[in-house]
Amino acid sequence: MNSLPLTAPVTMSASAGLRSMLTASLLMFAVVIGGLAVPISAAAADRQVAATAVVEALISDVEDLLAAKDVSMDDRRTAITAILDAHFAMDTIAAFSTGPYWRAATPEEREEYKLLFHEVLVSTILGNFDQLYGLEYTPGKTTPKGDRFVIVSGIFADSTGARPEVAINWRVITRKGKPIRLFDIEIENLSLLVTQQQENVAVIRKNKGQFSALIDVMRDRVPAQ
Amino acid sequence: MRSGLHGAKVANRRAPVNGPMSGAAILFCKKTAARDVLIRPILPDICIYRCMLYSAASPETTTLALCTVFFKIMLGNGMMNRQSYFSGDSLSGDKALPAAFGPDQRSRCDKARVNQALCMNNLITKAAIVGMAFLVAACSTTPPDERTDERDTFENANRSIYNFNMKADTYVLEPAADLYRSSVPQGGQRAVDQHLRWAAMPSTAINSTLQGKFENAGLAALNFLVNGLTLGFADLTEDEDTIEQEDFGQTLAAYKAPEGPYVMMPLLGPRTGRALAGNVVDFAMNPLRVFGSGKEVRSLRQAQAPVGAISFRAKTFDAFNEVKYKSIDPYARTRSFYYQIRLGLLEDRVTGTSTTSEDAFEFLFDE
Repeated sequence: MNSLPLTAPVTMSASAGLRSMLTASLLMFAVVIGGLAVPISAAAADRQVAATAVVEALISDVEDLLAAKDVSMDDRRTAITAILDAHFAMDTIAAFSTGPYWRAATPEEREEYKLLFHEVLVSTILGNFDQLYGLEYTPGKTTPKGDRFVIVSGIFADSTGARPEVAINWRVITRKGKPIRLFDIEIENLSLLVTQQQENVAVIRKNKGQFSALIDVMRDRVPAQ
Repeated sequence: MRSGLHGAKVANRRAPVNGPMSGAAILFCKKTAARDVLIRPILPDICIYRCMLYSAASPETTTLALCTVFFKIMLGNGMMNRQSYFSGDSLSGDKALPAAFGPDQRSRCDKARVNQALCMNNLITKAAIVGMAFLVAACSTTPPDERTDERDTFENANRSIYNFNMKADTYVLEPAADLYRSSVPQGGQRAVDQHLRWAAMPSTAINSTLQGKFENAGLAALNFLVNGLTLGFADLTEDEDTIEQEDFGQTLAAYKAPEGPYVMMPLLGPRTGRALAGNVVDFAMNPLRVFGSGKEVRSLRQAQAPVGAISFRAKTFDAFNEVKYKSIDPYARTRSFYYQIRLGLLEDRVTGTSTTSEDAFEFLFDE
């Protein structure tokens, strides 16, 4: 910055010199700030693109499964399990679904709960899988949420028109150094994960804060699926 | 029609008031005979339940009859003499109770001579609000360490009412909704939905104005006037979807009124105290209530509550059953749904915005 006056014409008036200094300073400031800002927005944009890609990959996999004919129940279960593991942050979801009680759980309880949670989720999806037939997905906007999440919006519409359109938000977790995965699904302002967490916490609190009570309830549900 | 407070004075003069429900119950009916039954501390008494339910749900004849059918089926007292319930004559005087009731209940109720029609007509809006406040107060609060959610002050009582609601759903609403969605054509179901939506337009217009949402208010008023030609059964406008329904509970929230306790209402389902107070005001804004006077209009108005309930249940049939039959704690799940949906409405959340605050996930990353 100090070099600017030296490069100015000798004949320049004092006010013109001052204006040049000011302009040069602003330009320099803009370059510095711009230099910082560009990588930040690029990182945010990258996160959004990556999050959108995760959702698109999930939709694609589900469409493939829906299009497949003569798929046995066991094969469908295997496929759903693979889809969940590939696109969802299952361990993080399991941890969140028990709220503050996750920390109080023993490592053995955590592991057992993760397995049960996974199994119940697969069974629930399997039981409702037929409802996905006839749905068409239209992607919407993508919004970063803090440093860790990106919300990818979209709409499911029934091609037959029998069911109303449903707005959906995919909450994608984007942490540094970890794979980008789906974390939560919000349907018409209802977060499935928050709902599950509040239900699980209610079960634990009803049983005097015993994490094992939740495991017992979940264990009872698995064979019934 | 005077409020039940007059009846309360009479009751205090003639008979001692017993039991925690007495204050609320007396407000519901001013007939001395009805009071004699209502102050009974025996809560399972069908007469008491009926009057409570009418008050809680809707002072409409059809709802009244429906409530009675619910209980009749639940208690397993034999076949229902429906005609006696749906005809006006049977709802007054000594023939208030049909022969289908068990001898014990019939004698108890007949002895008290509950005039159901009069009881129902005494339920004006103000009495309903006060009555609900008494009902809530009558329920003992659940100690904080026994609650599964800090907001659920009356959890034990709420869970009992929820269990009753689910039984009523199992025996009445679920089969009715199943029949409705399988037998009424899509066009008919759409017409019913449009009518119910149209009936809420005056409330939306007024509440939008009170909240400063003048564009929404104008659209709602226009929609109401135009579709009023068909009583809302046919949609003559094309901008219906752009109107956001606003209720008085949302208006109260906009004016920073406290949310109040979470209460599970018999047959109505979950409400916060604020939303419940709003419902009462919205109920008074029903256009058929304000403008309608003919027999047909009255019949239509009386059918709105039960048909609305059946329509809602039919539209959410699978999702509702998923919660009801497959949740590990259906009550807690319902409560969570209610709060999330209500929060979305209060914040006028639209597609593309997230329900959950980022703070909710923070504890995950503290470790």
